[in-house]
Amino acid sequence: MTPYWADEDEDEHGEGADGAGTMVRPYTITRGRTAPERDDLTLITVLTTTQQELDEYGRPYRPGGRGLQPEHRVILDRCRQPAAVAEIAADLDLPVSVTKILLGDLVAQGLLLARAPLSVARAAGGADLGLLKAVREGLRRL
Amino acid sequence: MTSSPMTDRPTTGSQVAAAAPAAVKILIAGGFGVGKTTLVGAVSEVTPLRTEEYLTRASVGVDDLSGVDEKDTTTVALDFGRITVSPELVVYLFGTPGQERFWFMWNDLVNGALGGVVIADTRRLESSFASIDFFESRDIPFVVAINCFHGINTRSPAEIRAALDLDPQVPMLVGDVRERPFGRDVLLALVDHLMNLPVLQPVPVG
Repeated sequence: MTPYWADEDEDEHGEGADGAGTMVRPYTITRGRTAPERDDLTLITVLTTTQQELDEYGRPYRPGGRGLQPEHRVILDRCRQPAAVAEIAADLDLPVSVTKILLGDLVAQGLLLARAPLSVARAAGGADLGLLKAVREGLRRL
Repeated sequence: MTSSPMTDRPTTGSQVAAAAPAAVKILIAGGFGVGKTTLVGAVSEVTPLRTEEYLTRASVGVDDLSGVDEKDTTTVALDFGRITVSPELVVYLFGTPGQERFWFMWNDLVNGALGGVVIADTRRLESSFASIDFFESRDIPFVVAINCFHGINTRSPAEIRAALDLDPQVPMLVGDVRERPFGRDVLLALVDHLMNLPVLQPVPVG
């Protein structure tokens, strides 16, 4: 995917000589927010676009919803097939923290459903045997 | 690790377009240039993906208070792949950044990992010491994969174990990380290791 800032870099800012450019612009997308409103999105939280009613233009009908940016729409399109936060960030070519802010917007509006990773930490009892057996079966087919 | 409130909350009103699979992750660690992304690529069903994260020194939060003011930000790249075990379960493989000082700062990367693989190169075993220390300190179960490009291995497994100061129960495999069967065997060894671990008893508090 073409980085969202590719055109701007070439047309307005030459070679992107301003080293801060790549730092500033991602947070422009987030309207200046540098931290997500929720901290429960992880690298492998899986997100899925919810089915939505469409308006007369074929766009999701969201009464009272805040305006979506192009990146939001790309995410909703991408997540028709479930995808992890890390995959979405890689597809958007955006840093993980910026991606999480955008995802948080969509989860808050009910447009994305988030599934947290399975709890496997040893301190919490570790992964259960059924999960490990399933992983083992999958790996054996490699 | 506590469960997320997001999944516990029932979905209201909206239908899910496709059922989301559950996800787990395995960390692939080791010194710089030891073959982490190569191993990920050998077993992943997709070409390894790359994403980036901003890390600030402030997020270390241990003893470096000066870092809080400095807001010393760095961009760290992360390569990862995926193995779809079933429609209900996906395993993500994350190659940790080559310099451990970065992933020490990155809680989201290391929290909740099923386990880890430490790749070591027999010509410079010391470059993987920090990864072993890290997994041990975080109580993340791991296996060791000795990467022998072109089958060059001048040291016996016993020598390597001694040099790495490995616990006897930590599995160690020797092979070429470019080969999918070796990558598969390394991951299977990790899962078997996890199955054999004693169940931790909850420790009473207070």
